[in-house]
Amino acid sequence: MTFLLECKKAKRIGFYPALIGSSILAAAIPILNIIIRGEIDVTASKSPLQGLLGANWQLMTMLNILFIAASASLLYHTEYADNAMQKLYTLPIHEGSVFYGKTLFISVMSLLTLTVEFSALAFCSYYWYTPENSFILELCQNFGYSLLLLLPCVVLALLISEFCQSMWMSLGICVVCVFIATMLPTDQFLLSLFPFALPFQMLDTAQTVPYLCAACTELLILIVTEKIAVKIRRSIS
Amino acid sequence: MNIIETQNLSKSYAEFHAVSGISLHIPKGSVYGFLGPNGAGKSTTMKLFLGLTQPTGGTFTVDGMQYPENRIPILKQIGSFIESPAFYGNLSGEENLDIIRKLLGLPKSAAAEALELVGLTSVRKRLAKKYSLGMKQRLGLAEALIGKPPILILDEPTNGLDPVGIHEIRELIRSLPQKWGCTVFVSSHLLTEIERMADIVGILNHGHLLFEGTLEQLKSTAIKKGYPTDNLEDTFLALVDADNRQSERGCMQ
Ligand SMILES: Nc1ncnc2c1ncn2[C@@H]1O[C@H](COP(=O)(O)OP(=O)(O)OP(=O)(O)O)[C@@H](O)[C@H]1O
Ligand SMILES: [Mg+2]
Repeated sequence: MTFLLECKKAKRIGFYPALIGSSILAAAIPILNIIIRGEIDVTASKSPLQGLLGANWQLMTMLNILFIAASASLLYHTEYADNAMQKLYTLPIHEGSVFYGKTLFISVMSLLTLTVEFSALAFCSYYWYTPENSFILELCQNFGYSLLLLLPCVVLALLISEFCQSMWMSLGICVVCVFIATMLPTDQFLLSLFPFALPFQMLDTAQTVPYLCAACTELLILIVTEKIAVKIRRSIS
Repeated sequence: MNIIETQNLSKSYAEFHAVSGISLHIPKGSVYGFLGPNGAGKSTTMKLFLGLTQPTGGTFTVDGMQYPENRIPILKQIGSFIESPAFYGNLSGEENLDIIRKLLGLPKSAAAEALELVGLTSVRKRLAKKYSLGMKQRLGLAEALIGKPPILILDEPTNGLDPVGIHEIRELIRSLPQKWGCTVFVSSHLLTEIERMADIVGILNHGHLLFEGTLEQLKSTAIKKGYPTDNLEDTFLALVDADNRQSERGCMQ
């Protein structure tokens, strides 16, 4: 139910146009890349999909995490702008429910974005290359992996937005995080664990399991942080 | 029977005492007028009841339940309006109420009833950010009234309303105990306003409770202390003034 409420609250603030715009833009990247630069040579990679991801995933992820950062700031801005948050705290609901509702909401929206993006990748694979029979399975595995690695970034962006009541402050911090993430080398395991850097990883590396474990651990840590933060905020208010 | 009771309830910010050791007794089914000048601590007291801010001393019970153990059951009993109206500017008045209705688990008709009560039915489809000041105030009140809660906490509910609106809301508040059997805890700076709605008044100044009782008791107290009584506003001013002078003297010593 909180999910449906979040869908409603996101009306008329430019969230849905931003969702559609950023999905289409990210999905257009692999297609435009081939049209403009010509077909990528995928003979060196394991499969056409890996070749396409290698050529485009960095830029597509950048758009994804910028979208997450902007929407987290925007969603909390609507809560704080006209004091709605205070009203919610006076209702008989769990104090964390707004946060979890928003986490679920942005996660589902990210799932939609990724669906559009992976559809575009599938289209490229079929149109310009001849994928093997196992292609669908490979596509789904990559999709699931990317979605999971995106979740810590969603939760961290929401945590930042929850604590900065000004939208410009949270947006600023998130954008700085995005730029730090793009500057971190993706092949250094520890550095690439930064939640905003994690989504840049692709499934083809040998470190799939460590990254999956890392993503789950980060999610857990961030959710515990939120729980502690709620307690602290209550005790100092 | 008292539906809300406080025992030496206090709230301090660093060295500053916003509310100092007040013991309120709010009888069930009454309209309790909470009176005090700017900065007296009225809103702070109300926020304490709603868990928006934490007491630094003392305790309170709502319908026999202790805070903070029973935060959610306490909040289930209370409809509130604190300081300024809270809403989502990007949603219409109706959509705003619908969100609260869903969070409270109320039937669909509850939102329409609340809009009707505050007279917003005709503009329910308009976006809340396009509402006039008075309409926003009414929307805030509708959010408090939705679902007919047994306790209403209203902080300066008639702020920004026109004379007709003030009269309407006052009559509404006055009628609620009979209509729904609810208890209203309402704050104001104006004794004339409180006088017209409240059965009992509590007067607060600098976080201290100067007086608690019926208007008749207030009059007789004033006569005893030699304050003017022909106009209750003057009584109130004299009471606050005497307290201010006393605390100034206390500071100098
Ligand atoms: N978060 C805070 N930090 C420090 N001081 C605060 C805080 N909140 C309130 N105060 C102080 O507590 C005092 C009481 O404030 P409160 O809002 O309860 O007054 P009030 O009686 O509602 O006044 P008004 O009639 O103007 O609404 C004020 O002096 C205010 O400055
Ligand atoms: Mg106030």
